[in-house]
Amino acid sequence: MPTMEKETPRRSPREAWNETVEKRYPGADFDRENRSGIDVKPVYAREDAERHAPSDSMPGQFPFGRGIYPIHYQYQPWMDLQIIGYGTASDLRERMELLDREGGSRGYFGGSAFNVIFDMPTSMGFDPDYPGVRGSIGDAGVSICKASDYETLLAGRDLSKTHFSMVANAGSPAMLALYLAAAARMGFAGEQLHGNITNYIWDFFGHCGGMNFSPRGSYRLALDVCAYCVDKAPHFGTVTFSEHNICEAGATNVQAVALALAAVIALNEECVKTGVDIDPIASGYGFHMRFGEDFFEDVAKTRALRSLYAKINAERFGCTAPNALKARIHAQTAGSLLTVQQPKNNIVRNAYGALAAVMAGVNGMTINAYDEALGLPTEEAVTLSLRTSQIIGEETGVKQVSDPLAGSFYVESLTSEIETACLDYIEKIDEQGGLIPCIESGWARAEVAASAYEWRREVESGERTLVGVNKFTGEDSGETAVFRPDPGVADRAIADLERHRAGRDQTATDAALARLREAGTTTMAGGEIGSTTAALVAAAQADATLGEMQSVLFDVFGRNK
Amino acid sequence: MEARRQRPRVLLAKSFIDSHDRAIETIAKVLRDAGMEVILLDYELAQQVGSAADQEDVDVIGVSFMSGGQVEVTKELFRSMRELGVGDIPVVVGGTIRPFDVEELEGTGVKAIFRGGEPLDSIVKTFADLAEQSRN
Repeated sequence: MPTMEKETPRRSPREAWNETVEKRYPGADFDRENRSGIDVKPVYAREDAERHAPSDSMPGQFPFGRGIYPIHYQYQPWMDLQIIGYGTASDLRERMELLDREGGSRGYFGGSAFNVIFDMPTSMGFDPDYPGVRGSIGDAGVSICKASDYETLLAGRDLSKTHFSMVANAGSPAMLALYLAAAARMGFAGEQLHGNITNYIWDFFGHCGGMNFSPRGSYRLALDVCAYCVDKAPHFGTVTFSEHNICEAGATNVQAVALALAAVIALNEECVKTGVDIDPIASGYGFHMRFGEDFFEDVAKTRALRSLYAKINAERFGCTAPNALKARIHAQTAGSLLTVQQPKNNIVRNAYGALAAVMAGVNGMTINAYDEALGLPTEEAVTLSLRTSQIIGEETGVKQVSDPLAGSFYVESLTSEIETACLDYIEKIDEQGGLIPCIESGWARAEVAASAYEWRREVESGERTLVGVNKFTGEDSGETAVFRPDPGVADRAIADLERHRAGRDQTATDAALARLREAGTTTMAGGEIGSTTAALVAAAQADATLGEMQSVLFDVFGRNK
Repeated sequence: MEARRQRPRVLLAKSFIDSHDRAIETIAKVLRDAGMEVILLDYELAQQVGSAADQEDVDVIGVSFMSGGQVEVTKELFRSMRELGVGDIPVVVGGTIRPFDVEELEGTGVKAIFRGGEPLDSIVKTFADLAEQSRN
């Protein structure tokens, strides 16, 4: 008969476990520091979770760590927002129709939803005929530079039942103006429109150092867009704070959550400085978060972000409007973790990332196409991403319970540790005068770059496994088809732009652009917040192009380089 | 002058509208760690890359493309280098390069193409070898 270990009554199960581990693996240390610098133990117990005093709120209750709705996917599943964009507006209609057919444009309450990404010239605010951008036209997104392009893209659609999400960088304010002008021509008032514009102007790619507005100018302009929409397009999401992009630039999860919240604080402070009421402005905020690097940390960081956001807005800025306290989150799987090597592995990576996002209770989801490291997604790859979401939603059973990992000793403890680490990081930013000075000094970027380099170093040394890249590297199973946009797209876009310029009332366009300059100058000086976007919409209605409007905005709000 | 020539001199360039800096910054750091002089450039026109390469007297040019434009810009770059009489500086391209871009890029005279997941050692070696050839 094997001898049973004697139970000493005074020893807790945890103490007994410690002794067993000590005896069986003498001197071994099974704790690991995760990428965010948080010590992760091999197992968690009740006291770990209790020590960190997790919130015992229910979903839908302040501070919303457990979710912003009392009942969530059981009533309204996440919105699938596959990112689509290539060619010109008429080319992209095909991909929108594919999503319609495959159940991939399912919005809330019977409406439809699209998430459109623009090519780099458009995203940054340049027309197709701007010198040097020709090769990028319609290449990694759709080329749009005038209101009529949106009319082409959306002809026949009921915009009052369409959630239209636009992914743009420095071009955000003018791209929103073109959309609003097109919608008006199609007979839809701003009050009827739903969707969102990134409008995360500086930070969108600022953390990795691209050309942009000046940090100060960009925050002022972003606020102007928010203030305009509060009045004129109240159902439109006006800023999407992108934790995702900061992660993709290389930051750890804690850095990314903290920097995204620091951006919220910076924009709120713009409100304070200019005397704008924060409650309605913050009610239009949303987040874009990244999933796929570390399953449990992904869930924990989302819960932490929601609760930190609610507390910051309520306690630091005195917000009381319910929607100003609820972080609506759009999830996207991690593009930077997709590999060129053995590309079908990316299907699996995306599925785990998406599952983490669902466990975290996000509101919308983009599952990347598995072939994105190779080029633009094919129809097959886009459909497969959509099927991934549909399988999670309809087959796995995870929709039935909100915040299903609540009460997990590990997840509760990790959530609290992330909250604490983020607050410490935000304090560091505050000590430097807030996020804008941290951007101007180069500190924010250096922080992210250092983490990016560290990640790369781990991959190179083999400490971090990328299957198919630095471990289990076999032959690829064969060629993967890669989508090829029409090489004639640049010629078509430029010719169309020339026709547009020749056919418009140039005097009216010039006058509208002059008014835009006046409004912008006033806004930049701190006055009449919201008037610049109003002038942008008027200029878009007067057939001004994206690049013409952007050139005025760059003059007034400054460029970073 | 002799001393400077001991160290390979590299120009790394990226379009002002591309903005995905993570890769090019990483490459800049590893090349510097390997003892090379690295000049980073955000350009609007491909010609600016050619003239920077000429003025800075570099041994190798690396151009990063994460969001399109690779074929058009690279062709333009070679045109401008030839006009400036520096058409023999080796050019390396990195980023999201699609299979159908490869033939056209190689046709323009690109010496190496690096896509995601390439070991840093092999990138450093390529730059070092090309710099060596370029100086001899």
